[in-house]
Amino acid sequence: MLSIQNLKASIEDGTQILKGINLEVRPGEVHAIMGPNGSGKSTLSKVIAGHPAYKVDGGSVELDGKNLLEMEISERANSGLFISTQYPTEIPGVNNVEFLKMALNSKRAYLGLPEINDADFHKLCEEKMELLEMDARYRERGVNEGYSGGEKKRNEILQMAILDPKVSFLDETDSGLDIDALRIVANGINHIMNPEKAVILVTHYQRLLDYIKPTYVHVLRHGKIILSGGPELALKLEEQGYDWIEEK
Amino acid sequence: MDALSRIQQLGMPKRNNELWTFFPVAKIPQQEFLEVRDAPRTATFDASSETDFAALLPLAKNARTMVRNIADGESEMALIKCNDDFGHTIFNIGKNAKVSLEILDNKVLHEIAAERFDLNLAEGAQVEVFFANPANDLPLRFRHFNIQQAAGSSLRFSSIERGNGITRVSIDDFLKAPGATFEIRTLNLLDGTSSSHHRLTIHHEAPETTSTQFARNLLSGHAYASYDGSVIVGENCSKVNSSQLVNTILLSEDSSVSVKPVLKIYHDDVECTHGNTCGELDADQMFYLVSRGIPEKLAKKMLTSAFASELFQALPDSPAQKRLLQVLHEVI
Repeated sequence: MLSIQNLKASIEDGTQILKGINLEVRPGEVHAIMGPNGSGKSTLSKVIAGHPAYKVDGGSVELDGKNLLEMEISERANSGLFISTQYPTEIPGVNNVEFLKMALNSKRAYLGLPEINDADFHKLCEEKMELLEMDARYRERGVNEGYSGGEKKRNEILQMAILDPKVSFLDETDSGLDIDALRIVANGINHIMNPEKAVILVTHYQRLLDYIKPTYVHVLRHGKIILSGGPELALKLEEQGYDWIEEK
Repeated sequence: MDALSRIQQLGMPKRNNELWTFFPVAKIPQQEFLEVRDAPRTATFDASSETDFAALLPLAKNARTMVRNIADGESEMALIKCNDDFGHTIFNIGKNAKVSLEILDNKVLHEIAAERFDLNLAEGAQVEVFFANPANDLPLRFRHFNIQQAAGSSLRFSSIERGNGITRVSIDDFLKAPGATFEIRTLNLLDGTSSSHHRLTIHHEAPETTSTQFARNLLSGHAYASYDGSVIVGENCSKVNSSQLVNTILLSEDSSVSVKPVLKIYHDDVECTHGNTCGELDADQMFYLVSRGIPEKLAKKMLTSAFASELFQALPDSPAQKRLLQVLHEVI
């Protein structure tokens, strides 16, 4: 499904942030990526998405055999990639629901499907908003405009639910969520997840993984995945931190 | 003093005249063209206190004066067609009258067109003035407003400029008694080599008066916009509230904008603010939209449309809001 091979990327001043990432994600899997601040977790998500602030120095990222790095940013999304950033951007004046509809219709156009009609879109939107316990305010406001941190994260998962991607890369989706919101968001992700999809979660804490059981846990440090394991690795990291890995 | 004499006294506009700092004054015909005049059709008018050439020009050219009186308490929606090269319109608006006034575009191609509007608002009058000019090819157009506001009156001015030539809107607003409020929301949507210039002077001549200036520019090609906004708060004018904000998005390398706020404040107990932002489309917002699968061209359109329509969404539900948002929907 998603295959990342020896991915290297740097920022404008030439500093290399990703120094050779290798990751294989198969359908039905949940991968958790953990690591200290500044290790390159957010950079990884942005590089895969095609953020212009990063330059790819080498390697490949393939989704179902297609090289994402050769695609336009929008094409990557329409091919089935969804990236949720740590700090979702506010876009005043662009209505949230209009935006969702525009995004969905862009994907449908890419796939050669007709535009969704208003009634079907309304129904889909209602259903997903109910799943995430979102109220009418989300419909009326601009994209993420004036939302709290938790509301923004919930809105990200709403987009994920509507766009129905193959692979979702969720960067610190649990940050800014209170206990109830964490449960709702995690339930939403579990609901969307199925054996044909995959999720990559970037997180600092075990608490999200209590709700979303990872298939694999990886430790990213200094721009490389330095250790991979099962769910028990996250528990050990929670208990002992990261220093023991380097010592080892 | 008549208008022509006043122009001769002031001289033709020059760049060193602070009212014309940003305007390409070389485009204005030389003084000789003033000598060619229609037969007198202009109402008697003392021009001795006028300082802006654009305010004087229609009068100096003997423009036909149209006077419209709106009685106390009346409600009226009016359309003004400006098809002559020079025009002068006076609206006397009675107490507590409600007027919605749309100025339609000049559909006749003149080398130069100049219109002057005198709007006299009695106590409690509520007036909206708006225009959303279709892109026309008038090479040079002046539109001047002289507004006199009595106690509790409100004037809301909103417009979209998107012509292909050079346009200049000048406004002198006099807030003469407490409770008078003035608001302008104007959008320049320019491309090619067009330019649009706004020159405003808001005279707060009484306490507890309010003025709001909000301008936005979306500039492509070699387009140029300028905004020269002055606020004068007189002595003993306490509790005045005045704000000015200009936001510009430059959509091309060669577009440009000039903004000049001038605040002359002769009283301490006032709140006057001004701000100006200028930049390109927000890169983070663009990335966010395209990362959701929206093609770049469409994402750009969504952001420019949002930037423009936000200006008018804050208007009350009114003919002005409907018209301006409709035009935006059609053109962006």
